[in-house]
Amino acid sequence: MAAENWHTMTDSEPIILNETIHQPTRLRIMTLLVSQPESSRLTYGFIQSNLVLTGGNLTTHLRKLEDANYLRITKEFHNQKPRTWIQATRNGRKAFADYYSNLQKVLDLRPSGRA
Amino acid sequence: MKNQSNLTPETSLRTIHDTMSQAQSAMYLAGTSTILLLWGGVVAVGYLAEFLIANYATDFADNSPWFHAPLWGALVAAGMVASGIIGSRASKQLADPDTARRAGLKVFAFWITVVAAAWVIPALSGIWTSPETAQHTASIAIGIIALGYILFGLMFRLELSVLGIGIAAAHYVPSQLAGDNAYAITAVLILILVVGGALWLRKTGIQ
Repeated sequence: MAAENWHTMTDSEPIILNETIHQPTRLRIMTLLVSQPESSRLTYGFIQSNLVLTGGNLTTHLRKLEDANYLRITKEFHNQKPRTWIQATRNGRKAFADYYSNLQKVLDLRPSGRA
Repeated sequence: MKNQSNLTPETSLRTIHDTMSQAQSAMYLAGTSTILLLWGGVVAVGYLAEFLIANYATDFADNSPWFHAPLWGALVAAGMVASGIIGSRASKQLADPDTARRAGLKVFAFWITVVAAAWVIPALSGIWTSPETAQHTASIAIGIIALGYILFGLMFRLELSVLGIGIAAAHYVPSQLAGDNAYAITAVLILILVVGGALWLRKTGIQ
């Protein structure tokens, strides 16, 4: 099933939550990446163990985020062992910041306020 | 307003905050279970040496009441260096060297402060240098180190706080009840505690 956007109308414009990010696993991946300084890269293993994901599941979601140009995946050899690095792109950081800002706007509009 | 994703805005916000704090903890806890085992070994060797000196080298103990300081000082210095190396290697498995170094330095600064307090407080208060009170150095130091575990656990993983309480109990209970054998019993109890603690931590995902 294709995920659709959460959206709500203000008086002037609709608030749309980015559907690529607004998915539990991808949201956690993006949060992990953008919570690091801009030049930081995380290993595939760290993301997998931190989010408790299977390799296949993680790879699928990483590909979707990479296709959206939200992250960069690089493979390097360290002591003759392959290591996969994941880094949020500038575009990904901006998309996440916009998503977070829209999330706050949606919550502010809800009658009960924020969680 | 409609939602066809299984995330609500409320759960999204909670997910973001939970993931951020979890990621930070994971970075700061890199290598913790191995470091814990190392410190169990360091402390057990220290207590065993105290036990052997107190029971089998009484002349030396009487003539050199200051021996507690260099004994524990050398063990702690070796432990700090080894912990730094283990922590640095473990965090490099998680992130690029700069990110790993930033997290590692914070953890190292925390523990160096705790260990420094454990030795500076007895030294400045004159407990170390007085023959009548030098034997209490370990009691004060272990209390401060146990407090370090409790505080570190409160910040990052509660299991470590429980361990801190266990370490304190492993020292203070035998010291009150076991007489001359207290140091040997403490050494064994601490070894059991750290091996159990390290296994427990690994089960919860901390290497």
